[in-house]
Amino acid sequence: MIRISLLYLLVGMVSGAIMLVNKAYVIHPSVWALLPIHIEVVIFGWVIQLTLGTAYWMLPRFLEQPQRGNPQLAIGMVVALNLGILVIIADILLSVSWGLGLLGRILELSAVVLFVILHWDRIVSYRASTT
Amino acid sequence: MPFVSRTFIKSGMVYFVLSLVAGLLLEIEQFSFPALMPLFWHMLMLGWITQIIIGVSVWMFPGRNKEEGFWNQKWNWGTFIFLNIGLALRVVAEPMISGQSAEVWKILIVISSVLHMLAGITYLIEIWPRVMSKKAQRKKRKRQRNRS
Repeated sequence: MIRISLLYLLVGMVSGAIMLVNKAYVIHPSVWALLPIHIEVVIFGWVIQLTLGTAYWMLPRFLEQPQRGNPQLAIGMVVALNLGILVIIADILLSVSWGLGLLGRILELSAVVLFVILHWDRIVSYRASTT
Repeated sequence: MPFVSRTFIKSGMVYFVLSLVAGLLLEIEQFSFPALMPLFWHMLMLGWITQIIIGVSVWMFPGRNKEEGFWNQKWNWGTFIFLNIGLALRVVAEPMISGQSAEVWKILIVISSVLHMLAGITYLIEIWPRVMSKKAQRKKRKRQRNRS
């Protein structure tokens, strides 16, 4: 997830840079169509994905195996989030009313629900109480 | 915490305050202007959020080069310089851009775009090999021991 988020950072920076240059020297009027993609890529692809990936890595692990919870659920989380982002980008690019935007958001929501299921019980302290 | 991380985080904090000042100005009609909205979002998301992520990740991710100094931390300092000069140029030049604006502002905007991309590339060069599993870390340490 962290490496995918780094790739999204690069895509976000390149798309942002193209739009910024387009402000100074008009490359093509349709460059502005990149704006919703830029926002989706930077917020969901970069910031949210990096946060989820880092939390999966860093939050306290279970004392028994599998230490980070069900690995299939984790794979499901990664697939759902990235499929969601790609479906939303496709919806923006194709601009057709196939309900792709809704499908994309459902996939992203599924990823977040999986994230909460996977991590809820990992938000603990294993230190003995000192009170 | 390494010096470069402290610099990233402190610079991020400055942008955090600046972005909220921009957010405040957006709400006051006399001070609001069209370019303020993208500046607000970019100072918040790039100046603060991205900069604090970079500062903490170069510190906390495994495989950090603990030697201080510019050349030992060249990719991190490159990221810091490119990102902050790029963003500062944008903050100065973007409000000046309009149909009849002077060429210099347009050139500064292009330089800012290039610097943003360079910041992304240098950060990737630094952090990509440091995203690794415990097994890969052990292998890397073993290789380094064998070499020395």
